[in-house]
Amino acid sequence: MSILGDLVVLLVNGLQTGAIYVLLAIGLSIILGTLKFVNFAHGALYVIGAYLGLLITQEISISNGRLAEWGFPAIGLDWGFFAALAIVPMLVFVVGLAMERFVARPFYDRPDTDQILVTFGLAIVVQELIHALIGPRTYSYETPSEAFGLLPLSGPVGVPLSSVTIDVWRIWVIAITAILVIGVYAIVEYTDFGLVVKAGTRDPEMVRLLGIKITRPYLVMFGIGAALAGIAGVVGGPLQNINPEIGMTILVPAFLTVVIGGVGSIRGAVLGGTLIGMVQVTLISLGSVGLGGFEVNFTPWAQVGIYVLAVIVLLTRPQGLLGSEEVST
Amino acid sequence: MAHDDKSVSRRRILKNAGAAGVAGLAGLSGCSEGGDGGDGGGDGGDGGGDGGDGGEDYPSLGNYPIEGDTATFGFNVPQSGPYSSEGEDELRAYELAVEHLNNGGGWVDEWDDLSGDGVLDYEVDFVEGDTATDASTAEQSASRMVDRDGVIMFAGGSSSAVAIAQQGVAQDKKVMFTCCLTHSNDTTGRDCVRYSFREMFNAYMTGQALKPVLVDEYGDDLDFYQLYADYSWGKTVEESMRQFMTEAGWSEIDSVATPLDTSDFSSYLSEAQSSEADVLFLDHYGLDGANSLSDAVDAGIDEDMEIVMPLYNRPMAEAASSAIEGIFGTVAWDSQIDNEPSNSFTEAFGEAYDGRVPSGPAQLAYSGALQYAAAVERAGTFYPPEVIRELEGYEYDNIGMDEETMRACDHQAQRAIPVVRGLSESDQSDGNYFEIVNITSRDDVGYGCDEGPAAKCELGDYGDE
Repeated sequence: MSILGDLVVLLVNGLQTGAIYVLLAIGLSIILGTLKFVNFAHGALYVIGAYLGLLITQEISISNGRLAEWGFPAIGLDWGFFAALAIVPMLVFVVGLAMERFVARPFYDRPDTDQILVTFGLAIVVQELIHALIGPRTYSYETPSEAFGLLPLSGPVGVPLSSVTIDVWRIWVIAITAILVIGVYAIVEYTDFGLVVKAGTRDPEMVRLLGIKITRPYLVMFGIGAALAGIAGVVGGPLQNINPEIGMTILVPAFLTVVIGGVGSIRGAVLGGTLIGMVQVTLISLGSVGLGGFEVNFTPWAQVGIYVLAVIVLLTRPQGLLGSEEVST
Repeated sequence: MAHDDKSVSRRRILKNAGAAGVAGLAGLSGCSEGGDGGDGGGDGGDGGGDGGDGGEDYPSLGNYPIEGDTATFGFNVPQSGPYSSEGEDELRAYELAVEHLNNGGGWVDEWDDLSGDGVLDYEVDFVEGDTATDASTAEQSASRMVDRDGVIMFAGGSSSAVAIAQQGVAQDKKVMFTCCLTHSNDTTGRDCVRYSFREMFNAYMTGQALKPVLVDEYGDDLDFYQLYADYSWGKTVEESMRQFMTEAGWSEIDSVATPLDTSDFSSYLSEAQSSEADVLFLDHYGLDGANSLSDAVDAGIDEDMEIVMPLYNRPMAEAASSAIEGIFGTVAWDSQIDNEPSNSFTEAFGEAYDGRVPSGPAQLAYSGALQYAAAVERAGTFYPPEVIRELEGYEYDNIGMDEETMRACDHQAQRAIPVVRGLSESDQSDGNYFEIVNITSRDDVGYGCDEGPAAKCELGDYGDE
């Protein structure tokens, strides 16, 4: 296989690995940047999105959960994947609003540690609730093989210039992420709503003095961040098997993405997510390399690599690659 | 019927007690039995005589002697985390075993050693613990069972790192442990202990069982690539697959460790695919296995390479669903195995749990608890060194896997291994995911006490030396 082919495989794998991190990190970063709220329950929103998507897409049988004991051995709407893709963001948006109103708002003026404790607790509650109701078993999404009879949505596709094939859904994840990122970026940068949010971030007191009710844009921003996490759950669903623990697993790379990219910056989240994905994939692909007479195997360092990246960024640019300095406090 | 079994078992206890020259509890119970006269009058008299000879009891060791009239077992299984659905099935089987030991039913009615009226006149009770599939959590939970709950035996799975941690507790505290699902060579190899026994086969034996099937199916002189889970179990599977497939004339192109709990294997799989090997071994278990296999099939790698999963389990098959079609592997046991013990267990389990089909680990759990209880009955005491000696070298054919020996040198059951192939999604049904390709006989798997993993095993002391 040519070196060019290797690079193309690397790029595709790196981007798709990073795409889910980007979707999660944008919401996390916006909430942290605008509301100064550390939301450890963001992973729970991802899980809620994944499970809601699963229940809208298909009917699942429950073998171990309480729902089965209560007379619901199988639940689910069986409306298909597209319905899930359309409905889940709205539902998780509402969940986000509720979370802002009842969990986040009372804690806005409390220290970070209080916010971390309450949201981490909430994440555990969500995880255990799913565990109790639906059971611990893992489920997989049934993805449609094509859309509108034309576009292939799942199944293998050859990566150009190489002998490698990947699931075409992974290309779609990159595309969907790109569209959503552009959409959210446009809302924040080019609308009056975005202007109020940005102004509120810089000087909330002045915005209030100007007669603008700042709580509503904050509420909506929280909802948008939640909806993005929900979408990440649905588009990421077909890439892995779903169980109640996936939210905790994804939370750490999502936070790293924010740290690397810079708090409050959408462009930073995109850069951070892509970098993490690329570093991870590059180290896996390097494998064993002879360096000055020593054989060094880079693959086991893939997980460590993303933390090393975070350390380097924190040491050289503590506010993150694209974060503004005053936000880093 | 149950009454006959009971009297038979009592007589056995008395004989054993007599042979060992000890009386203890069994001898004393023999006195009362003998006094009852009736059908077993003569034997009862023997027992009474032996009991009179003995008189001395065993010294305290671990949680022996049991205080009160209840023997407590500890069941330490994953009740949270990715293996928890497997743990729940194990727990169901353990509870069923306790129910049968106390009140009869299932194999208890069929095994001569067991009475269905408790074990040695003790009613059996149990406590449960959560390992969370984490070695240190399991160790703490096991220690709590031993120290606080006073369990006379504890048991559980899954994950080899977890089993090995618990074996350490067992040997230290001189309380017996019965392995459930653990497949690493190290469990009865370098990390073996005197106080633990394993019914489950290991990675080495899986290699032996798969080799002929794979060569027959895919040919010889092939190149293979391995991805393996980066911990005790994954490493031993990787070593064993390399050893046996290289012996068969295949050559390994590369073998790559993947961190435990990886959710996205796509980059690893791209590397495997670009190696242009003929066969890909996915040495992953549970959720890792479901994810790596689904990722491989979604990316179409199964069209390029033959995929092998050395060890299957049900949560993995459930999650991977259509991806397991045509993929070879081994399982602990399967309800489709058609013989008297397997059928009777499947039936008893189904009756107790709304028609649920038991998984392989459930059968391991059930048989483990009963084997221990039967060994206690044969030994006539709960004194651990005597129970251990009773299990060492024990030959049996009563758990649905043909004739087996619980080997004395490493406490590894020498047994047959079911080789299976995944069914297509349309052929799968609840609890039924595989077709059995071959039950590789124990004559074709296994190894001497001085070779393979057993060569590294030093069991440690009995505690009564």
